[in-house]
Amino acid sequence: MITLAALSVAYADGRRALDDLDLSIAPGERVALIGPSGAGKTTLLRVIGASLRPTAGQLQLDGVDPWALGSGPLQALRARIGKMHQAPPIPPRQRVITAVLAGRLGQWPLWRAVASLVYPLDIAGTRAVLEPLGLAERLFDRCDQLSGGQLQRVALARLFYQKPEIVLADEPVSALDPALARSVAVALNEDAKRRDVTLIASLHAVDLALSEFSRVIGLREGRIVFDRPAAQVLTADIDALYAGASHAAAHDTPDQHVPSAKPRLTRCA
Amino acid sequence: MQPVTPRVMPRRGLMLTALVLAAVAASVWRLDLIAAFAEGQDSLGELLGFLQRFAAPDTSPAFLAKVGQGAIETLAISLIGTLLAVIGGVALALPASGRLGRLGQLASRFILNLLRSVPELVWATLTVLAAGLGPFAGTLALALHTTGVLGRLYAEALENAPPAPEAALRGAGSGAAAAFLYGTLPAVAPQWVAYGLYRWEMNIRMAAILGFVGAGGLGAQLYYALSLFHEAQAATLIVAMLVLSLAVDALSGWLRRRLVVA
Repeated sequence: MITLAALSVAYADGRRALDDLDLSIAPGERVALIGPSGAGKTTLLRVIGASLRPTAGQLQLDGVDPWALGSGPLQALRARIGKMHQAPPIPPRQRVITAVLAGRLGQWPLWRAVASLVYPLDIAGTRAVLEPLGLAERLFDRCDQLSGGQLQRVALARLFYQKPEIVLADEPVSALDPALARSVAVALNEDAKRRDVTLIASLHAVDLALSEFSRVIGLREGRIVFDRPAAQVLTADIDALYAGASHAAAHDTPDQHVPSAKPRLTRCA
Repeated sequence: MQPVTPRVMPRRGLMLTALVLAAVAASVWRLDLIAAFAEGQDSLGELLGFLQRFAAPDTSPAFLAKVGQGAIETLAISLIGTLLAVIGGVALALPASGRLGRLGQLASRFILNLLRSVPELVWATLTVLAAGLGPFAGTLALALHTTGVLGRLYAEALENAPPAPEAALRGAGSGAAAAFLYGTLPAVAPQWVAYGLYRWEMNIRMAAILGFVGAGGLGAQLYYALSLFHEAQAATLIVAMLVLSLAVDALSGWLRRRLVVA
């Protein structure tokens, strides 16, 4: 269970990225976050992922406040949360197998991480997650030999290999073509359903949010505009959410957490 | 707009030429080179005779075996010295890139500057005093100076590496060391290896020279041979140095192409 109580995140200049949010997400829910750029979607995902400390209010993951934990338990908690990014943060020269194995670094002792750099320790396990994504034959290729779409699927394989209890995906499909975007969104949802884990993804593609996810939250200027089961979201909700905030104008507002609004997938990092 | 045509020929080139000629003339006059040549009519013959004795290198099997030993020693000095410097360079580059706080950064940068600003030959005279004559002193001298050079280059590579991959692994619960190994090392490793190999090429030549101050290897043998006017043996040693240096250049160049470009 993920619970946010009166939670706010303020920038140094006093502007609020998240403004007094109350929200709870039950295990197994598949939530799509939608809203114009700069609405606070990335900030919200970083807060839930225990990467960004809220300036006010409280976050609880299964009844535990991550920021009350010491660094050891906090690290162990983060190892149970999987994250996906718009630009896969994978070094270009890394082999696909190493990039996937890195998903378990939070669970492995250091000696195992070092040994696996010398010779990959779980070739069968890596192949098993790459196979359904159609990348099994690229196992030993270097990541800079892959296309942007293939690289995002390697990031997906890393996430599946980690087997996290909460999956947080920040614009995972924004840089992909529509067909590939749908297949990645479907794969994320299938994995969450099969393993009965929580999935929260921010999306620009409203159609994917409505067709693939179980719950949709509309976010604007750091506040929740609507929060409904996907089947009950009305066209009027969507229109109100994006009204006046054209994409071009929204991209001009500085967003401190998204490194670049443009896809940077030609290179790995 | 009309191009501006100068009304007089620019005189800068003329003045520069005159200045250079004047400097050359002044130097020749100051060093008494003309007088030295006039006096040295017969010493020129002596010089040629001296060079002639180098034309027939000593190729007796006993001496060649000794040269082989010296070459292996020089190779070992350069290899171990560079390897120690790679280890020391990495150990100092991590704090010097600011990973362990401001204090660690200042301290390690100071150490790197100190190591780098003292040349190998000066380090060698110090290590020979401290550790005695022989290859150990040479190895230590090379390692100390090269650590300073590599540490700075390695730290710069670290500072320029993209931070996102390591940050993402930390966010997924990875420890600091593992996140560095999987997130940042792949980005800097090719540069680190290339710098290390390049310094090895330089160190094989330096290892040959360090023998002159008593730090072992081919240099020490060359110093003895020259001191005792054994020109034939000196010639063999110079050829051996040349061959060793060319071989290491070729090997290192091949390795760099394979490891870094591929």
